[in-house]
Amino acid sequence: MGEEGLLDVNDGNFESEILNASKPVLVDFWAPWCGPCKAIAPVFKELQEAYGDEIIFARCNVDQSPNTPTKYGIRAIPTLILFKDGKVLDQVVGAVPKSQIEEFAKKAL
Amino acid sequence: MSAGLYDVAIIGCGPAGLQAAIHVCGKKAKVVVFGKPERSGLYKAHVANYCCFEKVVSGKELLQAGRVQAENLGAVFIPLDVIETRIENDQFHLVIENNESFSSRTLVLTMGITRKKLKVKGEKEFVGRGVSYCVDCDAAFYKGKDVVIVGNESAAVTGALTLSRFANEVYLVCRELEVSNALYEQLQSSSVKIIKDAWVKEIVGNSEVEEVVLTNGKTLAGNGIFIELGAKGAMELAANLGVAFDTDTFSFIETNKSQETNIPGLYAAGDITGKPWQIAKAVGEGCVAGLNAAQYAKRLSKS
Repeated sequence: MGEEGLLDVNDGNFESEILNASKPVLVDFWAPWCGPCKAIAPVFKELQEAYGDEIIFARCNVDQSPNTPTKYGIRAIPTLILFKDGKVLDQVVGAVPKSQIEEFAKKAL
Repeated sequence: MSAGLYDVAIIGCGPAGLQAAIHVCGKKAKVVVFGKPERSGLYKAHVANYCCFEKVVSGKELLQAGRVQAENLGAVFIPLDVIETRIENDQFHLVIENNESFSSRTLVLTMGITRKKLKVKGEKEFVGRGVSYCVDCDAAFYKGKDVVIVGNESAAVTGALTLSRFANEVYLVCRELEVSNALYEQLQSSSVKIIKDAWVKEIVGNSEVEEVVLTNGKTLAGNGIFIELGAKGAMELAANLGVAFDTDTFSFIETNKSQETNIPGLYAAGDITGKPWQIAKAVGEGCVAGLNAAQYAKRLSKS
């Protein structure tokens, strides 16, 4: 666990933590030098507090884990990908409004 | 390197920045103002609803008068864009487009808002699949690939230089470049290919971007297109410092009534904090930001 309630995932544990998870997982692909990633981080945390019982909120640092973003065709950050039963349900790119991120997360419910 | 430590640095020289500078000077604090007046939203405007001006006044004249007023009070003006910000040892460090660095005890963000989208066919469709608005975020995803970057100003040119360290070919598409000589020389000695008198007409691809069609009839093959219009704005210069944005749009910086952001010593004023887009609101917030920044800097200098 990284920040409280947020699961830190990487190239090594992505499969076991995300693809085999018992609940839907929302993964935030980010990097420490990315301004828009920093901007949406508080929203991601707020949503984790609201929906953390139903959805696992995870973060993947693309700087430290380059293989996973490549595998999912990520070409811009922040990218949020929603996984359900090991499959990609949907994704959203960029610092989009909180309401849009919330609607996106609720697709997993 | 220039001129030691300033009490207050202001990014943006529209009405908010000018009013902030005037009030910083009134507090006998040392202030430097960055930015290009002709980029202010006020520059081309005609103002009919600003208190105490009976007749319509030109925005350009107001900006010029404000600058002279602030300069007479001791403000230093640098008509160049800021391209990098960071916080170190409780000081703000800024790099401008000719690579000069400046340091300050406080920072006031008054650079307004600019259009970021190109509004061309294919743009929305390929966001995250080749279309990017942040070179600093996404350049590393284009190692060894061919990319296009579009824009006329400092964000596009500095972005092209950053991309040239990662990508194979970098094409900079611009109508006409409006940057400092130093930055232009850096661009010319780089591997970036400059395509002038052109603009992007359409972005084409299947599952990802494959081609960029230009207004001059040419087509560039590329895996990505970076859209970097204008100068670097709030998202590029403030978000990396940890400044909180409004979560409804992520376009505006959140401030309290003292124009403070969530970062100590960092203030914001004018259009960058949200509507209404009015000169009266900008100067009001600029006044408050300038006074508080000067006061904060004075406290720091005594401690």
